[in-house]
Amino acid sequence: MGAPFDIGYIFSFLPKLLETLGVTLLIVAGSLLTGLVAGFLVALPRMYKIPVLRTLSGIYLSFFRGTPILIQLFLFYYGLPEMLKLVGLDLTRAPVMFFVILTYGLHTGAYAAEMIRASVEAVDRGQVEAAYAAGMTPYQAFSRIVLPQALGIAVPVFSNLVIALLKDTSLAFTLGVMEMTGKAQTLGTLTQHFIETYIALALIYLAISFTLERLLLAAEHRLTRHEIRERSGGATWFNLKRRSTYRSLLHNLPDVDTGKGGRI
Amino acid sequence: MIELSQISKSFGRHQVLQNISLHVNTGEVVVILGPSGSGKTTLLRCINYLEKPGSGKIAVGDFQVDCSRARRGDILQLRRKTAMVFQQYNLFRHKTALENVMEALLVVKKLPVVEARRRSTELLEKVGLGNKLDAYPSRLSGGQQQRVGIARALALEPEVILFDEPTSALDPELVGEVLEVIRAIAKEGITMIVVTHEMGFARDVANRVVFMDGGVIVEEGTPDEVFQRPREERTKQFLRRITPEANYVI
Ligand SMILES: Nc1ncnc2c1ncn2[C@@H]1O[C@H](COP(=O)(O)OP(=O)(O)OP(=O)(O)O)[C@@H](O)[C@H]1O
Ligand SMILES: [Mg+2]
Repeated sequence: MGAPFDIGYIFSFLPKLLETLGVTLLIVAGSLLTGLVAGFLVALPRMYKIPVLRTLSGIYLSFFRGTPILIQLFLFYYGLPEMLKLVGLDLTRAPVMFFVILTYGLHTGAYAAEMIRASVEAVDRGQVEAAYAAGMTPYQAFSRIVLPQALGIAVPVFSNLVIALLKDTSLAFTLGVMEMTGKAQTLGTLTQHFIETYIALALIYLAISFTLERLLLAAEHRLTRHEIRERSGGATWFNLKRRSTYRSLLHNLPDVDTGKGGRI
Repeated sequence: MIELSQISKSFGRHQVLQNISLHVNTGEVVVILGPSGSGKTTLLRCINYLEKPGSGKIAVGDFQVDCSRARRGDILQLRRKTAMVFQQYNLFRHKTALENVMEALLVVKKLPVVEARRRSTELLEKVGLGNKLDAYPSRLSGGQQQRVGIARALALEPEVILFDEPTSALDPELVGEVLEVIRAIAKEGITMIVVTHEMGFARDVANRVVFMDGGVIVEEGTPDEVFQRPREERTKQFLRRITPEANYVI
């Protein structure tokens, strides 16, 4: 099917697809923001073992980690307005982007919650005791001792989470959002050069993922500069398996991966 | 001056401390001995409320708390008058040696940075780490980390420093340098309560030795009294078990 392969199309598609990059990035940024807030709210009752809220956040995690993002998008886009109609709220005129960012945000929140919980718990309890013993308040101990270290521990997980989110946004076209994948579909249909559009699309996703990963790796190095790290030799640029103290530490942590289908 | 009266503590059904009373004078060094599980760590941790005592009273200097109705503010006060040196050092890993010592001066005592840095530098020089000010804990040996821990405790000018087995996580060749530092500050008249298994050190440095077993103080006295002429059978047994070992160590 489609027209014969013509490499020239790849180059002419690139700028056209990049016109919609803003939409993709808006979904990513909006969802991350929503996700971090949601993640924090969900992580708290789990960390402090608050009875009822803890069960609720467990249900939240099960739902968002245990069902496909596509189903979540449909449920929120088609189901939420119907449900809210029952309580007299009319969402039928709300922009699609609202539903898209809400869904991706809550989805990301489930993984962010586990990231936050695991990172905070990975900072050893002895340091908190040392802070208390010196007369610091719980808030001071958290903000000055736990948080800075938890951030460093969280970055590699955060990096995976952002990249997973970036790739997931490609499903937003199913609700008719003109982000990059949606645009690629249209270009493909118009020109019948499907393969070329998808190659161009893949190149763009790859470039963004790669850039994000490098930036976050730099952030991680900065945040964990107090830890001894083996110097990785020449092949750092394409060495996606990063080695650092925290990396290896994370492998020993339960529940930190952002991979789908993890333990809940 | 430290005064513990009738401190009790249970974990669930297991009573770990039973009506412990202990008086420590200003400038005195009290060493606590006792078999594993006798409640030594728990007692130290009750003094600064890292464990909440079930009942009893704690007085540090002119400040007194009744454990059955201690409030948040009391606990902070108590902690600001005491300092602790931990078995596992518990340094702040993301802070340099200097920053570790400065931290509480800045956050708790609210000293200006310049003043905090000056005092912390002095203390680190005193424990022999003047050349490691900017090193992160991950770059320090256990002995060096523990000496930072001691400087960090001294910085707050506490009424008492609580040591919980400060050398037992160290490689044998590093034990000496840490004991040396503790010995030096003991000479300066800083009040200390030290849990240790280093018998030689206890004999040298302690003004008083307290022997605990099963959550009670079995016997206390000068090092001579407890080591040479123990009165209680449990103390004798413990010393027989531990002393030959101590001879081999040095
Ligand atoms: N957080 C806790 N929860 C339950 N039990 C505890 C807890 N901490 C200590 N215990 C129990 O209390 C008893 C006294 O413990 P503690 O650590 O004070 O002994 P110790 O004299 O310091 O022993 P060691 O010489 O081995 O350090 C032990 O039986 C221990 O199992
Ligand atoms: Mg102990």
